[in-house]
Amino acid sequence: MSEGYHIPDGISYTEEDEWARRLEDGTVLVGISDYAQKQLHEVVYVELPEVGGEVAQGDSIGAVESVKSVSDLFSPVSGTVVEVNEALLDSPELINEHPYGEGWIAKIEPSDLDEDLARLMDAKAYGEHVAARAH
Amino acid sequence: MPVWYEGVIPEHNAVRNAVGVFDTSHMGRVRAEGPDAERFLNHVVTNNVSTLEPMNGIYTVMCNPRGGIVDDLIVYKLADGRFFIVYNASNREKDFAWLEGHSEGFDVGLRDVSDEIAMIAVQGPRAEETLQKICSEPVSEIGRFQLARVRLSGFDAMMARTGYTGEDGFEFFLLDTPLESPERALKVWDDLLEAGEEFGIKPCGLGARDSLRLEAGLCLYGNDIDDDTSPLEARLRWVIKFKKPIDFIGKEALMRERKGGVKRSRVGIVMEERGLPRHGYEVWDGDERIGVVTSGGLSPTLGVGIAMGYVPRDYRKAGNPVRIKIRRRLAKGKIVKFHPFYDESKYGWRRGSK
Repeated sequence: MSEGYHIPDGISYTEEDEWARRLEDGTVLVGISDYAQKQLHEVVYVELPEVGGEVAQGDSIGAVESVKSVSDLFSPVSGTVVEVNEALLDSPELINEHPYGEGWIAKIEPSDLDEDLARLMDAKAYGEHVAARAH
Repeated sequence: MPVWYEGVIPEHNAVRNAVGVFDTSHMGRVRAEGPDAERFLNHVVTNNVSTLEPMNGIYTVMCNPRGGIVDDLIVYKLADGRFFIVYNASNREKDFAWLEGHSEGFDVGLRDVSDEIAMIAVQGPRAEETLQKICSEPVSEIGRFQLARVRLSGFDAMMARTGYTGEDGFEFFLLDTPLESPERALKVWDDLLEAGEEFGIKPCGLGARDSLRLEAGLCLYGNDIDDDTSPLEARLRWVIKFKKPIDFIGKEALMRERKGGVKRSRVGIVMEERGLPRHGYEVWDGDERIGVVTSGGLSPTLGVGIAMGYVPRDYRKAGNPVRIKIRRRLAKGKIVKFHPFYDESKYGWRRGSK
């Protein structure tokens, strides 16, 4: 089981531990999961994607770094980056504190959302994916 | 040693500002004893062991015949003909084989005692006060790189004022604490945590060990120095004693290099733009790749990325602008005055003395 990790329902997950949440205005919010932030531990630097950049699902669009390691950020969906969370530049620890909330990383205007989401995992499948690696 | 107990940053800060304790029992420890022990050590290391008074140590390197660094180490003289050597955990087998392999013709006995003696480091401006509470002898009388026989929590130990953090601190060796019965070491560890509680002592892991030594400008074997790097390139010239009476391995190669001038030099780099330099990242000047980062990361004390790396000798002047390739971009940094990255009037063992 994925004990000890918060995996909220209603959002989609990648195998590389990003999440994607569809917002009411049709854009998609992107961040990394509670499991990912706990693996990294103290996040000290976030390299944000470029606003306006076109990205494809699976592209490396940035990075999240702890003192000891660097983790690539892979885009969970294709589209255009319309906003990034600049609060992370001064407060990267928001990713540790609120991975699904204030620690969001980018907002993407999706281009093939339904197809992209079909390739991602729901909370149950992602929970099994996390558990499989924890043992 | 784990990477961290509570977290790299709180552990790092505990050592810079108060005191932290590291279980360094993984390091290599060897006894070298015999009528030729001193002559033998002077043959394998670059520094001059003959200058040591009993119960004193020196930092040195040992080199291969090409002048590359086999390892960096501390040699302590216990008494005439009796030495105690401490080297890197990652090189335990290699170093012992190297020492044995070069001991032919010398009347010296070598014994790896790594698994018989526990080793703990207590580091930080409150290290002395913390240790005094469990130590039988006056800790303040132990000078830098001096070794003293003491009792810690009642157990026999040797304690030196040394470390790998840039701070004042001590490394001690608990005698007769074999790996399979660690009770004494655990007792001392617990007593230390209790003694340092009022100062905010923290047990520290490999993560803080690495970030502290990087801030202090100290080399990590395998990253910043290795078999293909000479102590001249690494700017460890001060540990080479060309004029000592006995020839040492690597001397000829190092003399040639000294005469011709080194091609590259170890430098410190501080980032001036966001981004963290890491081991293996490229160093650029304009559109030319000039070198490589050998150690890098966040400096918790400065709050910016710092790095050590190698650049051509001509670039090594403090103030020179460089760029570091961090993923797809070239981030601005500059070469800084060598050695500790922090302000030595505020941090490190010299603090307050300037």
